[in-house]
Amino acid sequence: MIAVELRKLFRRPRTWAIIAVLNALPVLVAVLLVLTDLAPRPGEGPPFLSAVLTNGALYPLAALAIVLPLFLPIAVAVVAGDSVAGEAQAGTLRYLLARPAGRTRLLVAKLVAVLAFVLVTVVVVAAVGYLVGTTLFEARPGAGTSVSGTSLTAEELAVRTVLAVGYVGVSMLGVAAFALFFSTLTDSPLGATMGALAVLVTSSLLFTLDAASPIAPYLPTRYWLAFVDLFRDPILWRDITRGLALQAVYVGVLLAAAWANFTTKDVTS
Amino acid sequence: MASRARAAAPRWAVVGVVVAVLAALPAIVAALPVADDPVPAAELRAAVLASADVQFSGYAESAGGLALPVTDQLDAVADLFSDRTEMRVWWRGPDDHRVDVITPAGETGIHRDARGTWTWEYERATATRAAATPLALPAPPDLLPATLGRRLLSETADAELARIGARRIAGRDALGLRATPAEPASAVRQVDVWVDRASGLTVQVVVLGETSEVPALDTRFLDLELAVPDAATTAFAPPADARLRTAEETEIVLEAGRRLVPVPFPPTVAGLPRRTLEGAPPGIGLYGRGATLLAVAPVPRRLAEGLGRTLAQSPDAVVEGTSTRIAAGPVGLMLVDPRDAEPYLLTGTVTLDALVEAAAQLPVTRAQR
Repeated sequence: MIAVELRKLFRRPRTWAIIAVLNALPVLVAVLLVLTDLAPRPGEGPPFLSAVLTNGALYPLAALAIVLPLFLPIAVAVVAGDSVAGEAQAGTLRYLLARPAGRTRLLVAKLVAVLAFVLVTVVVVAAVGYLVGTTLFEARPGAGTSVSGTSLTAEELAVRTVLAVGYVGVSMLGVAAFALFFSTLTDSPLGATMGALAVLVTSSLLFTLDAASPIAPYLPTRYWLAFVDLFRDPILWRDITRGLALQAVYVGVLLAAAWANFTTKDVTS
Repeated sequence: MASRARAAAPRWAVVGVVVAVLAALPAIVAALPVADDPVPAAELRAAVLASADVQFSGYAESAGGLALPVTDQLDAVADLFSDRTEMRVWWRGPDDHRVDVITPAGETGIHRDARGTWTWEYERATATRAAATPLALPAPPDLLPATLGRRLLSETADAELARIGARRIAGRDALGLRATPAEPASAVRQVDVWVDRASGLTVQVVVLGETSEVPALDTRFLDLELAVPDAATTAFAPPADARLRTAEETEIVLEAGRRLVPVPFPPTVAGLPRRTLEGAPPGIGLYGRGATLLAVAPVPRRLAEGLGRTLAQSPDAVVEGTSTRIAAGPVGLMLVDPRDAEPYLLTGTVTLDALVEAAAQLPVTRAQR
C-alpha cells in the first residue's frame, strides 16, 4: 500500500509542479543578487544570504532559509492536506477502504508518502541551491567560515549542510502532521490545507509578541531557524534538540488524533 | 454508527490523556520544590564577590525594559537595555572569556584576552580589535548575570541585604538575595540576585524601578555548566577574508569627555557622595554607589540641542524653563541648557526629584575649550 501511495504521489504532475515553483524563488533571488551585487544589510534578510556573495557553496542553506518561512510549509500543507480529504472529495476514499488492508495501514501509507514528499522537496531545494550557488557565485567548495568566524573544512561544511537539510525536513513534519490530521476531519483538501496554514500563521505571529513569550517554546515554528546553529562553532545544540523534541511531540500527538478520528469515522464518499 | 462512536471514545481518551500529561509537564517540573539553605545574606554576598574566577559555560538571556532616548551613535547601547539579548558564554576568567550574542541569522562574538577584545560580526564579516580600558561603554558581557550580580553587590551595604528564599534556575538550586537601596534619591526599588548555592555564581538578576512591577532589567542563565572551557574556544583569530578595524566608539566618548573643562563639582549632590572611577574624564562628575548612580557632564551645545529635541519628544517629558527631564524606568535624564552658560546633562538611576535637587546644587559650567 505504501508503494502504491508513493507511486501515486510522485506520478502526479502537480507534485513536481509544486517542487518546481518552490525552487523558483531561490533562483530568482540568486539572479537578482548576481545582477545587483546588493546583499541584505546586517539583521535583515534570510540567514546566509550575505555570505553567498563570497562563497556560493553556501547557497543551499540560503535557499532553505528563503523558502522555510512560507513557501515550504505551504507546499507541505497542500500535499498533506490533500492526502485523505482529496480522496474523500474525489469519492475514492471508500473504495480504498474496501481493501482488506484497513484504515490504520492506509493512514500510515499516506503518512509515509507525505514524509517522502517532504524529504524529496528539501533535498531538491538544497541541490538546486548548490547548483545555482556554485554556478552564479564565486564558490569555495574546499572551505568555509563558520558563523562564529572560525574555519570549517570541506568535510565539516558538507556534514553540517546534510544535518541542516535533515533538520529542515524534520521541522516540516509538524506542518505535515497538522495538515494530515485536518485532512481526516474534513472532505475538503483546501479546508485541511488552510487549517494547517492558520496554525502556522498564528504561531509565527505569537512568536513576535513579548506577551506570548511564556508559550513561545511550545509554538510549532519556534525552532525552525535553529538549523543556523549547526554553523556556529562549537555547534549550539540547545535549540536544535528542543526543535527535534517539539516536532516529535506535535507529530506524535497529531498522528494519534488523526488515527483516533480516521479509524472510527463514518466514510460516505 | 453507534458501534463506531463506542470504538472512538477510548481512542480519543488515550489522545486526551497524552495531551494532558504533555501540557502539564512544564508546570509540574517548575513546581518541584527547592530546599532553602539558611545562609546569611552577608555570607551569600561574599560568595558572589569571590566568584570572578569560577569557570563556566552557559546560555543566558537578558530582557531590558528601558527605552533610552539616545543619539544614533549609541543605538547599540540603548538596544542592550531595551531588547531581549541571547548570549552564549565561555568564562575562563575576567581576562579570558567569550560572549556570543546570538541572533536568528548570525552572531556577534566578543572574545576577551589579556590585552583587549576581538569583536566578530558575522553578518558584516568584520573583526574589530579594542584595547582594554578601565572605562568602556556597556557591552553584552556586562549584562551576564554573573558579571552584573558581582558589580551590583560589590557596593551594597550588608544592612541593605535580605534573603528571599530559593528557586531553581538553569537547572541549579539558587538562593535569593534582595538589595534595597537605602538612598532616598534612588529610583531603584530593589535588586533581586539569585545565587548558585554550589559555586557562588549569580544565575539571575532582576532590577525593579520605583513605580513599575515590570522589571527594568531581567537577566538570567537558561543553561549553566560548571566546567573549564577549552582555551581554543575563547581564543580568536580573524578569518582571512574578514574586514579588520580598530574600535573607536569608546575612544570617541572618552575624547569628548577629556575635552570637557573640569568644573568644581560639589562633594555631595541630592544626598549622594561623589565617587571616582578609574579612566573617567575629570570633566564628568560621578555620584552614588551600587544600584544608585548619578553622572553629571557638561555637553557641547550642538549635541545638547539634538538631545533636547529627543527628550522633548517623549510624551512623559517635563519641560520647565531651561531644563527638560524624563524617566525611562528607573533611569532619569535631565538636560539643563541655561542661556548664559554651557548646557549640562544629569543622568542615572535616581528619581526626577533628585535630578532637580542635584541640578540646583551644581555650579554653572564655564565655557568649553
